[in-house]
Amino acid sequence: MRQSLVVANVLARPMRTLATVLAIAMEVVLILLVVGLTRGMVNENAKRLEGVGADIVLQPPGSSFLLASSTAAMPEKVAELLAGIEGVSSVSPVMVQLNVQGGVGLIYGIDLDSFTRVTRGFTFLQGRAFQAPYEMIVDDIHANSKKLQVGQVAEFLNHSFRVTGIFEHGKGSRVFLPLRTVQELTGTPGKVSLMFIKCDSPEEIPPVVARLKEKLKGYTILPMNDFVSQVSSASNNLVALRYFLNTVIFIATVVGFFAIFLAMYTAITERTREIGILKALGASKQFVLAVFVKESLLLCAAGLIGGVALSFAGKWLLGRVLPSLQVELSTDWMVKAGLIALLSSSLGGLYPALRAARQDPVDALAYE
Amino acid sequence: MKNILEALDVKKVYKIGRIEVAALQGVSIRMREGEFVSITGPSGCGKSTLLHILGGLAKPSSGQVIIDGEEISSVKDSARTDIRRRKIGFVFQRYNLLPTLTAGGNLQIAREIFGNGDRDDSHVQEVLKLLGLEKKVQHKPSEMSGGEQQRVAIARAVINKPAILLADEPTGNLDTENSHLVLSMLQELNRTFGQSIIMITHNPEAASVGNRLVEMRDGRIVPHERDVSFNRREDTIYI
Ligand SMILES: Nc1ncnc2c1ncn2[C@@H]1O[C@H](COP(=O)(O)OP(=O)(O)O)[C@@H](O)[C@H]1O
Ligand SMILES: [Mg+2]
Repeated sequence: MRQSLVVANVLARPMRTLATVLAIAMEVVLILLVVGLTRGMVNENAKRLEGVGADIVLQPPGSSFLLASSTAAMPEKVAELLAGIEGVSSVSPVMVQLNVQGGVGLIYGIDLDSFTRVTRGFTFLQGRAFQAPYEMIVDDIHANSKKLQVGQVAEFLNHSFRVTGIFEHGKGSRVFLPLRTVQELTGTPGKVSLMFIKCDSPEEIPPVVARLKEKLKGYTILPMNDFVSQVSSASNNLVALRYFLNTVIFIATVVGFFAIFLAMYTAITERTREIGILKALGASKQFVLAVFVKESLLLCAAGLIGGVALSFAGKWLLGRVLPSLQVELSTDWMVKAGLIALLSSSLGGLYPALRAARQDPVDALAYE
Repeated sequence: MKNILEALDVKKVYKIGRIEVAALQGVSIRMREGEFVSITGPSGCGKSTLLHILGGLAKPSSGQVIIDGEEISSVKDSARTDIRRRKIGFVFQRYNLLPTLTAGGNLQIAREIFGNGDRDDSHVQEVLKLLGLEKKVQHKPSEMSGGEQQRVAIARAVINKPAILLADEPTGNLDTENSHLVLSMLQELNRTFGQSIIMITHNPEAASVGNRLVEMRDGRIVPHERDVSFNRREDTIYI
């Protein structure tokens, strides 16, 4: 029976091995869950936009795809002009507002009639649409995570709104307020941030886009598909988001590095005699180096497997506890997390391994 | 018979800060293939230092060591390691088995280091049998007695058929019975397989097992020698 020194060494210290493997697993979980959360958010956002059911999105010059910092606005009257264009069946002006009360999200101020025409309406799970200026509707996920029920009151734009209905999610935003109220509260009467446009038929989309471009120079006019993918890639490339992800990945890498470094560093001290024994048997520097590097890599591999498993468990758990959070675990990021773990483990294991390889055999054998 | 080992005016100075300890002050020794040399001498006289240098574990401050035709004292660390791997088997007082491996694993790793790990192991079985270890293959060092551990260590030292077996007080930690056993095994290896052996020992009985006795004092070989079986005084050059 063949026995591997590397495996035997790893098994000889089960607690130390477990702790190290868990630390590497945490590194992987940290990367996968944080990346998975941001990607889930972005994709969920994209899906919700698609769910609006519009064919074309029109934005005034200088607006961002994210709509989050949208200061640009266009006159609501543009809608009338659009409605007269050949191939356009309906137009819905929307005022988008960034809401930072109790989490970050977008609020839509809509004109209920035109929005219903473009999107074929809401499916209400409870209650009805808003009618009064200080009423609102929210989707089921928002209602669930904020524990909101029909008849209750919530704060938006520093005002209280009464929930009149809870609708099935997937209609662009989770929260809808009356357009007039949003315009008043933001001091921009008669202005909107975008228009959703519905065409007579899907074949009409390209010619309508062309006609709109001719009429409205400088405006951003995109078929819904393009708009959605632009929003997604713009969110993915947000500088703040990149910084955040890079910071998380960096911290995770450092955690993995130190986990392996400490484990291997203490291991060489603990195994000084054994290094001397290997050398007395004629083991070269490379052989000793390989023994320790392989051990780091074995710990890393175990940590990676554990990390991926824990990430799936984490995704499941998050889904139960916070249903509004979407986690997307992608294979390409599992590979990336694996490479990052590999990098931190190799770097963490290298110095101890080099030290081990350089040990003087006689000194090592005399070590108590 | 050819010379299996030759040491010429080997000196070793240890530096501890500013203090210099002359552990070997010019040792010369010549050994023929198939000899079993015992080295005795008081503690601190330089026996272990000499053995480490002869086996290429340490470098002499000056002088020459030639093992089986290869000069090892002036070559680079990596070359000395390589010669050690191919030509030398070490046995120590403290057994020095790898604690996480079984007896079989300890033999296996020696073969792997030698570059023989994948070859058939009929030779391994032979050695295990000779040393009475067939039943201990799956045992870890912590599950074996000192005598058993030392026998595994001897098996490991000879598994790759080294030119010379170097043993540093191999019976130093053993009781009389196990000492007997280990010594008779070394003798058996020497007689049956013609294994060349150098053994350091304090034990007078152990010293008589070999066929030549070398005495050391203060980093030198004492210039009188009892050649137990051959009476070949000229084999040792005194300086
Ligand atoms: N690594 C070392 N550093 C400094 N002095 C040493 C070292 N190893 C041995 N010595 C000294 O060298 C002398 C010979 O030691 P050693 O070869 O171990 O003797 P022996 O094996 O005969 O007891 C002793 O005085 C010892 O203290
Ligand atoms: Mg000694």
